[in-house]
Amino acid sequence: MTTTARYDNGEAASVVLEQPIVRVSGFVKRYKKHVAVQGVDVAIRKGEIYGLIGPDGAGKSSLMKAIAGVLTYDEGTVEVFGTVVDSERAAERVKQRIGFLPQGLGLNLYPDLSVEENIDFFARLRLVPEQELLERKARLLAMTRLEKFRNRAMKNLSGGMKQKLGLICTLIHEPELAILDEPTTGVDPVSRRDFWSILAELLQEKGMTALVSTAYMDEAARFHRLSFLSNGKVLVSGTPTEVQALVPGSMVTFEASPQLEAITRLKQTFQQVEALGPRLHVFTKDLDPAQAVQHIEASLGDIKPDQVRVDDPELEDVFVSLLLQQAENRQVSAIPSAAKPTDNHGLAIEARQLVRDFGPFRAVDHVSFQVKQGEIFGLLGANGAGKTTVIKMLNGILPPTGGEGWVAGADMKTAGGTIKERIGYMSQAFSLYLDLTVVENIRLFAGIYGLDGRATDQRLNWVMSMAGLKGYESNLTGRLPMGVRQRLALGCALVHQPRVLFLDEPTSGVDPIGRRHFWDILSKLAREEGVAILVTTHYMSEAEHCDQLALMYAGRIVAEGSPGDMKQGVEKEAGHLFEVVADDPGKALLELRRAGFAGAALYGTRIHLFCRDPVRDKDCACGVLESSGVKVRSASMRPLSLEDVFVYKVMALERQDRATTQEAAA
Amino acid sequence: MNLRRIAAVASKEWRETVRDRMFFLLAFLLPILWMLVFGYGLVLDVENIPYAALDRDQSALSRDYLYRFQQSRYFDFKGALTDEREADPLLASGRIRAAIIIPEKFQERLNAGQTVGVQTLIDGIFPLRTDITKGYVIAINSAFNEERLVDYISRRIGISRTQAEYRAQPIKLEVRYLYNEEVRSSWSIVPALVMFTLMLSCPLLTALGIVREKETGSIYNIYSSTVTKIEFLFGKLLPYVLISSMNAVVLWIMATLWFGVPFKGNLLFFLVASLVFVLSSTGVGLLVSLLVRTQIAALLITIIIAMVPTILFSGLIVPVSSLSPGSQFQAHLFPGMYYTNIVRGTFLKGIGLEVLWTDVLALALYAVILRLVGYRLFTKRPR
Repeated sequence: MTTTARYDNGEAASVVLEQPIVRVSGFVKRYKKHVAVQGVDVAIRKGEIYGLIGPDGAGKSSLMKAIAGVLTYDEGTVEVFGTVVDSERAAERVKQRIGFLPQGLGLNLYPDLSVEENIDFFARLRLVPEQELLERKARLLAMTRLEKFRNRAMKNLSGGMKQKLGLICTLIHEPELAILDEPTTGVDPVSRRDFWSILAELLQEKGMTALVSTAYMDEAARFHRLSFLSNGKVLVSGTPTEVQALVPGSMVTFEASPQLEAITRLKQTFQQVEALGPRLHVFTKDLDPAQAVQHIEASLGDIKPDQVRVDDPELEDVFVSLLLQQAENRQVSAIPSAAKPTDNHGLAIEARQLVRDFGPFRAVDHVSFQVKQGEIFGLLGANGAGKTTVIKMLNGILPPTGGEGWVAGADMKTAGGTIKERIGYMSQAFSLYLDLTVVENIRLFAGIYGLDGRATDQRLNWVMSMAGLKGYESNLTGRLPMGVRQRLALGCALVHQPRVLFLDEPTSGVDPIGRRHFWDILSKLAREEGVAILVTTHYMSEAEHCDQLALMYAGRIVAEGSPGDMKQGVEKEAGHLFEVVADDPGKALLELRRAGFAGAALYGTRIHLFCRDPVRDKDCACGVLESSGVKVRSASMRPLSLEDVFVYKVMALERQDRATTQEAAA
Repeated sequence: MNLRRIAAVASKEWRETVRDRMFFLLAFLLPILWMLVFGYGLVLDVENIPYAALDRDQSALSRDYLYRFQQSRYFDFKGALTDEREADPLLASGRIRAAIIIPEKFQERLNAGQTVGVQTLIDGIFPLRTDITKGYVIAINSAFNEERLVDYISRRIGISRTQAEYRAQPIKLEVRYLYNEEVRSSWSIVPALVMFTLMLSCPLLTALGIVREKETGSIYNIYSSTVTKIEFLFGKLLPYVLISSMNAVVLWIMATLWFGVPFKGNLLFFLVASLVFVLSSTGVGLLVSLLVRTQIAALLITIIIAMVPTILFSGLIVPVSSLSPGSQFQAHLFPGMYYTNIVRGTFLKGIGLEVLWTDVLALALYAVILRLVGYRLFTKRPR
């Protein structure tokens, strides 16, 4: 029975229009009194990758679990493969055809079992015949490059490897529908890209359908169709192109100084104004580039924009503007000026040849960089690249094996205590006391830093208005929305007026508006108060906000510069990024790779590839496709994102590493 | 029921338990450790009571009287006092638990046919120990009185001491202790500890094993797959039942070889009954695991519902028959009591199914009912 179903499926993949295999209507899920999902409709067609996008707590997981038949729901209907999933019995009927990967990186795997044992367990649970298991296992392990690690215990795998193992285990019984809950959260950009291309390839090959959720807005373009969820409701659904068409407009990027004055003026006309390092990023409703620029110049008055560039808006911009349309006008928090600190234009942080060994393992290898007062410095890198170790050494928590460093004028080796007084530190976990109110938390941190009564009151007021916490004073911290909680954590880190601020992955799980609000505050802190900010992040779209970036790989800094410089560097080396829209993207991808475009990757229905020579290579690529019978609908140049830069750099280094190890082996 | 799926779940569970250091310790080392700690710690024999003596008389008779205490294995002489006031601080600090004070003219007054009071101070903090200490003092004292009486009779009537003894003590008690011939508390406690250890380690292991999957989220692999509830529960519990049965054997070996408790019953019956008990106590763990979400909650609840009633009502320390009617009723609600009957019965009395069938039946009912409840509570599509 199941085998025939599988054959049907293979043939059906080419048929575009047909009955949806998942139909959800009026879906409501409550947890006690809390309504997690309120009235969601979703229809998923055979063969597509359907995306659920939204911040933490938007209701993605509840919806996915209900479709997978592992969670009850309160209202509405969930129909999967024509079966209404309304009881445990009904759910059992569709489970053989579904693969479900729950949220949490590698959490559903068994840490003490090896890679192979994990796969075997999942396969046997699904009664995959041993012979088929052998074949599939070999192929999937080869595809994910996990072959070498067959016998390694799962707990000793890296984040990216765990993620790929999770995917293998979910797909080992070749389900018709794969439900993957945030498979890319907490994984570095390189592993994430790898994951997407493996997923796309597998789905294409087997004609599988996938329902995938993500909190990364920039992954939205990977889906055939998507729904954007916010507060348990679907805000918008459709193909990426359709979604983009909902909010027509353009994104104008330029430099203007003085930046803060420019922002104030622009905000009177435009809702979405962002500072990305020295540049400003403004969303206008004008479709015509000339008109867009004109409007911006008009609202800027006597400030002249420089290096103007107009692009199509990203999906994230679209989501933000949709969210803004929905939300009531948010108060724009103005940072009250505290007493101006003595401006010495000195270096806030200086690291010189920092080295740290853990036994024979060198975690940090001769790292040097400088951060000026008033600068936002981003430290990027995959998990385990050494970012946190660098921060720990600079904070005086961890003694370095070699090298030296100064933070806020104090030597980190001898003045650990002084450093701790002069810096603010905020971690991913938001080290707040959830059972205290907002005001109690701020007072607690003021007490920890030894502020006297008058100073505490003063700083309390400052923090409340800086972080836009008015109205939340006596709310319990545990009940605050993530975005507000994050701003409170920032306020607590700033309560003692530090000159240097360390942020360790500060924005996980916050919705895009909350994230933008947060960055507004950070850039004001840097520009107006001259605070130096060192931030580590996985979100490449956030790295755009930094003035300077350093990319770490295997303990070393391998690239440094402003976001613009880094992009230019990659464009010089690798060429420009092109987006190709073609019929039958799966075949197109294979043809392109065969023709030598090794970096070609699938983004939903589109293909991204690098062209060294914009004209010649593009024609060559189109020619290859046309000659093999794939119709090219369009091919256009796209601006590089920092994620492209990151992935390119790390991939190049990995190739280099492999080459050297092979040489050493030979 | 598909054997392949059961085997998949069971072998996964076995590997995890053996490889995870925490679970390995919990499964194999903790029972042995418990047995050793409680086997030595829970011995209730009162011996070597530290005491001091004050002899104000310093006569032949007073020395004879005190010598009897020194000779007894129940008392440990800590020294002679010179003043009554010295006794207080020694008793308060716990250096001695009893003090015996012989008054002046002890010998003179006894020989004159008068009664003499010997003041005995006993630490009364623990009533049980106090009573036993008092019992020993009384026994030594009456032995001394008896001898005085026999001496008097033989002198007065002019018969031999032996004959005088018959007159003084016409009826002699002949007590023979059954089952625990030497009345050693370790013989009684150690078999019950086999029960206690199994009653605690089985549910703990089972509850933590299942809740661990809930906590990490790997339970969703089970929820979302086609493995049936029976297959999952069967495969999941199988390794724990096996490990606990192995532990029952290990504990039996420790009880007989290490603690030297005699085993008079049928080993096969003991093993079968132990398997039934393991099945029912893993059922307790299953029930706990279905009611809580986190491992720490599972740990606390298991300890509370397994340990407290077991110590109080299972007959481990106090026999069930001497509990109040309300407590006796509670005792019958927990599986511990039935297995205590089985272990003490097989170890010390040498009885088998012919007497203990009701206990085995109760445990079997337990195992079945707990599994039925567990099956009803477990859902692959939770709220």
